[in-house]
Amino acid sequence: MELGRGAVALATDPADDAAVDSLTLQGLTKRYGDVVALDGLDLEVPGGELFGFVGRNGAGKTTAMRIILGVLAADAGEVRFGGTPLTFEARRRIGYLPEERGLYPKMRLADQLAYLAQLHGMAPTAARVAAATWLERFGLAARARDDLQGLSLGNQQRVQLAAALVFGPNLLVLDEPFSGLDPVAVDVMSAVLREQADAGLPVIFSSHELELVERLCDRVAIIDRGRVVAHGTVAELRAGAPERRWVGAPNAPVHWGEGIPGTHLISRENGRMLFEIDPGADDQALLQAALATGPVREFHRVEPSLGEIFRTVLEEDGT
Amino acid sequence: MTGGGRSIIYLVARRELQKRLGGRVFRVGTLAMIVLIAIGITIAKVAGGSSAPSAIRVGFTSTTATLEPAFSSWATGAGTLVSVSDVADAAAGTAEVTAGTLDVLVTGSPSAPVAVVKDTLDTDVQSALSVAVLEARLTAAGLTPASVAAALAGTHVDVQSLAPAPPADPERSGKLAAAIFVAFLLYLSIALYGSFVAQGVVEEKATRIVEILLGTIRPSQLLAGKIIGIGLAGVLQLSIIAAATLVLVQQTHIVSIPAVSAGSVLVYLVWFVLGFLFYATAYAGVASLVSRQEDVSSATAPIYIFLIAAYVLVSIVVPDPGGTVSTVVSILPPFAPILMSVRMATGDATAWQVGLAIVLIVVSIAGLIWLAGRIYSNSILRLGARARLLDALRGK
Repeated sequence: MELGRGAVALATDPADDAAVDSLTLQGLTKRYGDVVALDGLDLEVPGGELFGFVGRNGAGKTTAMRIILGVLAADAGEVRFGGTPLTFEARRRIGYLPEERGLYPKMRLADQLAYLAQLHGMAPTAARVAAATWLERFGLAARARDDLQGLSLGNQQRVQLAAALVFGPNLLVLDEPFSGLDPVAVDVMSAVLREQADAGLPVIFSSHELELVERLCDRVAIIDRGRVVAHGTVAELRAGAPERRWVGAPNAPVHWGEGIPGTHLISRENGRMLFEIDPGADDQALLQAALATGPVREFHRVEPSLGEIFRTVLEEDGT
Repeated sequence: MTGGGRSIIYLVARRELQKRLGGRVFRVGTLAMIVLIAIGITIAKVAGGSSAPSAIRVGFTSTTATLEPAFSSWATGAGTLVSVSDVADAAAGTAEVTAGTLDVLVTGSPSAPVAVVKDTLDTDVQSALSVAVLEARLTAAGLTPASVAAALAGTHVDVQSLAPAPPADPERSGKLAAAIFVAFLLYLSIALYGSFVAQGVVEEKATRIVEILLGTIRPSQLLAGKIIGIGLAGVLQLSIIAAATLVLVQQTHIVSIPAVSAGSVLVYLVWFVLGFLFYATAYAGVASLVSRQEDVSSATAPIYIFLIAAYVLVSIVVPDPGGTVSTVVSILPPFAPILMSVRMATGDATAWQVGLAIVLIVVSIAGLIWLAGRIYSNSILRLGARARLLDALRGK
């Protein structure tokens, strides 16, 4: 399963001067029959960065991750790590949490993790120690000698993450690591991901829990129909989104607010109105108009949530 | 970091081996098989002890009692075991023959006796009786018993046959029993360990652990490690059973034939390895097309058919192991592991036949590894509906 067949090495390859340990996806394309799963996906995740990958179901997140891991071959495009195309040996250093969880049901946790660590190239003793360490970290030390199948789904999920981390990866690729976790486990998982990123690894994960992504990630990519439609820090994504203002003017007439230049009325509730300010327009004009109706009890700027940005971006993408 | 391919195959194989050795099939199965063999050998020993030739019971009436000594000596001289007794009269003797407590009643006169039997008279008994009558007549005619004995002694005709039948092999039945046993054990082991491979392939697919494994190792390494590990478990189990059988056979002296010796056991192990590689590789290929354990048996059925056919053919090969049909089927790769072992156990396989069968199966295994490896690599990550064989081959 070789990647990069048909890929063209461009002279202006951004990976050339990228940080040594950054992950670069370039022009990834994958079709399943008539369905286009990836349509020239470009992405770069520097080392030390926690990178959120969001998009609707079927947008291509899992396909992209499988291609990074080499369990799926791209039709075109290239995956680079540290500036060079990912080889089979380099891929063995990727910690992977697949979308569909899977470990041996009838194998003891400690044996299983140590086995996987050895497959990734660890020495037997080091593998045993690492397995014990990660089980301890996830609060499963007491279950080390139990078979996986006896564990609750949440605990199986922790073991699955431990399997991705046990051999000390150079890069983490996690498909929906937070699904099915209780709030405590979410905190543990968040702390571990942050810690791995702080240790210098590029950490890329997908999630539908946008509040979590917003809180946790250094940068976010929104993908739709196999392409990146927006990416940057959450603040950068916000900067691209239209400004919004809540206006509380209790004496305003019923139909007030419509047709004020440079604004759109979005919603109205209990004498409060939400306006969207057109790019470049002056919010002071809106305030003046509001004052003209009587007292203004409220006038404040709204930060759009990642969820709102996500919906806006997808609307602009034409769906 | 090189992470050598060999050490990965070793890791995978070791996991499979440990898993099988810890499993119930291995521990209980090995023990049960040894117990069955011990029971079989005990039965054979008891049955063999009672089937020693029994003496033919011959009764003489008072009128023919003079024939007794001569008859006994001639019968014994001819190697026939007889026990001679006197009966009260012809009626009582006939009743004994009818009841089955006597085999032959000799009545009438010493010069013209009548032998009363239930159905037929043993030819050796008849000859001994005839010579005894001849001796009686010659004595009656005036010759001294000593001269009669001297004249009759050594009357023997040398036989010169133009198309001699091969000498009956006294070990034939032992060899056949060994052959049938070897066939059964090989069939069972190949079927069992082959199905372990199929189940293991689907288990990894069904639990989706393949996606993690194939992120770090190659499909060929995973497949090779699995087949080697499970195969080693099979070799180990067969070796234990074979060693136990050898010890039991030697302790009971039930058979001492080449078919049951340490050297021939090694040959059967080689046939197990070849048969296992042949079937396990094919099983792995077809099993990788399905995603659920329930579908394993229907996926492997088209291949299992050949193994069953090999076992069924044992009943054709055993009665005539040297025949043309037996020779041909025992050389064909799907059948050779079982049928050639049978013909080697009976001593009918020639060196060139064994050599040809081994060459053919090794070539077939090489081809299967390529074919099944390709199917496996192309379909092992494919979930859901059963993958089509042709798509898997093309890598679509």
